[in-house]
Amino acid sequence: MPVCNFFLQGRCRYGEKCWNEHPRGGSRGGGGGGGGGGYNNNYSNRSSGQQQPRSGGGRFGNRVWVNPSQQKGNYIQPSSFSSHGSDDWGHGGGGGGGGGGGGGGGRRENVKSSDFSFSSQNRFSALNTPSTFDRGSRGGGRPAGGTVGDEDDDKKLEVIQMDMDVWEKSGQWGFSCYYSFKTLVSGFTDLSPEELRLEYYSTRPSGDLQGYMNGINQLLSQWKNRVQELKIMNPATRAALLAELNGAAPQGSSGGFGSTTATGFGSSISSFGSKDFGAPAQASGFSFSASNSGFGSAATQSSSTGFGDILAAPTQPPSGFGTASSSTPSASSFSFASTTTDKPAPASGFGSASGFSFPTGASSSFGVGAPATTGSSSLFGQTSGGFGAAATQPTSGTGSAEGASDSLFSPESKLTEEELSQFKAKKFTLGQIPLKPPPSNLLVV
Amino acid sequence: MSLFGTSSGFGTGGTGVFGSTTTDSHNPMKDVEVTSPPDDSISCLAFSPPTMPGNFLIGGSWANDVRCWEVQDNGQTVPKAQQMHTGPVLDACWSDDGSKVFTASCDKTAKMWDLNSNQAIQIAQHDGPIKAIHWIKAPNYSCIMTVVATAERGLIVYQLENQPSEFRRIESPLKHQHRCVAIFKDKQNKPTGFALGSIEGRVAIHYINPPNPAKDNFTFKCHRSNGTNTTTPQDIYAVNAIAFHPVHGTLATVGSDGRFSFWDKDARTKLKTSEQLDQPITACCFNHNGNIFAYASSYDWSKGHEYYNPQKKNYIFLRNAAEELKPRNKKW
Repeated sequence: MPVCNFFLQGRCRYGEKCWNEHPRGGSRGGGGGGGGGGYNNNYSNRSSGQQQPRSGGGRFGNRVWVNPSQQKGNYIQPSSFSSHGSDDWGHGGGGGGGGGGGGGGGRRENVKSSDFSFSSQNRFSALNTPSTFDRGSRGGGRPAGGTVGDEDDDKKLEVIQMDMDVWEKSGQWGFSCYYSFKTLVSGFTDLSPEELRLEYYSTRPSGDLQGYMNGINQLLSQWKNRVQELKIMNPATRAALLAELNGAAPQGSSGGFGSTTATGFGSSISSFGSKDFGAPAQASGFSFSASNSGFGSAATQSSSTGFGDILAAPTQPPSGFGTASSSTPSASSFSFASTTTDKPAPASGFGSASGFSFPTGASSSFGVGAPATTGSSSLFGQTSGGFGAAATQPTSGTGSAEGASDSLFSPESKLTEEELSQFKAKKFTLGQIPLKPPPSNLLVV
Repeated sequence: MSLFGTSSGFGTGGTGVFGSTTTDSHNPMKDVEVTSPPDDSISCLAFSPPTMPGNFLIGGSWANDVRCWEVQDNGQTVPKAQQMHTGPVLDACWSDDGSKVFTASCDKTAKMWDLNSNQAIQIAQHDGPIKAIHWIKAPNYSCIMTVVATAERGLIVYQLENQPSEFRRIESPLKHQHRCVAIFKDKQNKPTGFALGSIEGRVAIHYINPPNPAKDNFTFKCHRSNGTNTTTPQDIYAVNAIAFHPVHGTLATVGSDGRFSFWDKDARTKLKTSEQLDQPITACCFNHNGNIFAYASSYDWSKGHEYYNPQKKNYIFLRNAAEELKPRNKKW
């Protein structure tokens, strides 16, 4: 059996389970931790001074496969690393020889191991060339500084994509913020299950859970859309994301996902609350209210609508629209796992194309019984004012007709060329998303 | 209302089904079931402090009540008393002399419940639902602290020496929303760090003043469906609560997957994982000497309202924790 170099250095993490030989009488200091089995261990390294790589999955049992052809100079015994399966970097925190490996995310094949050196005479030579660590250490978490080139960005984006994939598939709670590479990625709302539950309990006595369900569906689809976006990573998303990661403030306006124009959103939520909970000014049970202190106050966001950093751009409530216009206001499955989507269901072209309806017709999305209410632009302009005003809106709005009314859809004549072309395109381009609802004839269900 | 409305106090029907049903998985670990559990999800559990003889367990629930049981040495539980709030009770804790219980609720109030007189008076009024409440009294702590985990992944450590003041804000080691936090102490019984659980099946162990942050702080994955099989996507569950064993310093985590696990954070190993219960486990705690581990099986809303079944019974189980939580000896 080949001799285990880490054991010789006194830091073998597999202990008795190690596949290599541990010569008795060799050094035994340090190390440990490997013996427990099944205990996946990620060293979350925040000390960026040390270039500590972290494998993407942090799987404890996998070994690095060092491609001997990529190694420079004075290494010895490449055979000690052969045939140990996948490339994840399992020997994390060791500093020294740890650098350069496990390039995180999807970079499985290209293990930049040029700095590996396992000869016992020179085991720390890898440390002499810190500049070459950047590549490898850029794994799933804390970049250690170094060059910020395109490759790094690519890796970051890959990591984010993978995270999104896992998030979607795993069925974990979706209303959570997501943080990567020292930035909070925008577009996610941070809500706890208790908050939602409280909402539900508060609306239950009134018997009308429709509003609650619509709200939930809306949040759900926002989340799904955002996750999809980040997974697919079209150029526009990519640019916006990179800007965020590199420290720029998220762009506002129809850039869509970054903005924090809270007022629009906050008041839109409050109008939502008011209609459904029948207590417009109080919204006592309704923790989604704009006043909000107990709720979102911990979220130290300037927007502070209790939704924290959400999709606050006025171009939003996407599929809220879709669900309202459907005839089946059902709260179809709430699961966060990626089932084939049912949600932005009915006007599928609608919802998924991020039905950016707007101030003219949008309040219909908020679970208002009547499909369309007019004058809702006021909702989006005010904060708490929108609250009281909204209470009166729904009733007054019922005058407008259902179905293909003006307020839900815009006739083609009213749209500019650009807007028309956006609607006709397969996807919206960030920055050119129309603010008016699409014409009904363009909707393909 | 001192008893639960029935003559014997043993609850309505279904009393102490100590492992009666063989096929359903509500108690796969065959643990002792507490009689008269609350009618809705249990949000918190707390055992009485050592200053009081005997073991008393309080549990708060979404049915707006908080109940107290006496846990006898033979494992029998006797419901003792109950108090109501006007909203779901989210947290409860004991005073250090064991005579009073503090409860915090979504009705924005906190109450102090005197167990001897069975009276509860309101002690606090907030603007929003109160999520957590703790009793701290410590003239002789040199570094007493409390850790608050906030939305948007905030983490604030407060120092409670004279005036509670913010001691430090910590950058969260986790990528997703926090769910629970628990403080652990060092050998001298001083709080040195905390464990933070997230919705993403991960727990971070974080020391406040570690000698070597990179090596001492770490995270580990837990409450996921496939162990090391990486090809199929895992199901990831939230960690609902964390509790530290008062004597051994090992910790227990409970999650939405309906399992509980015991871990040794110093040896960085897992000690045990339970079988899967049919409902998520929402709360857990140890009694003061670490012999009893209590955990509550009820729905935690992790899958939204559709999976909420008001008819489903909620349980609290008690397990003997003296043996299973002994720390592993380190290899070297």
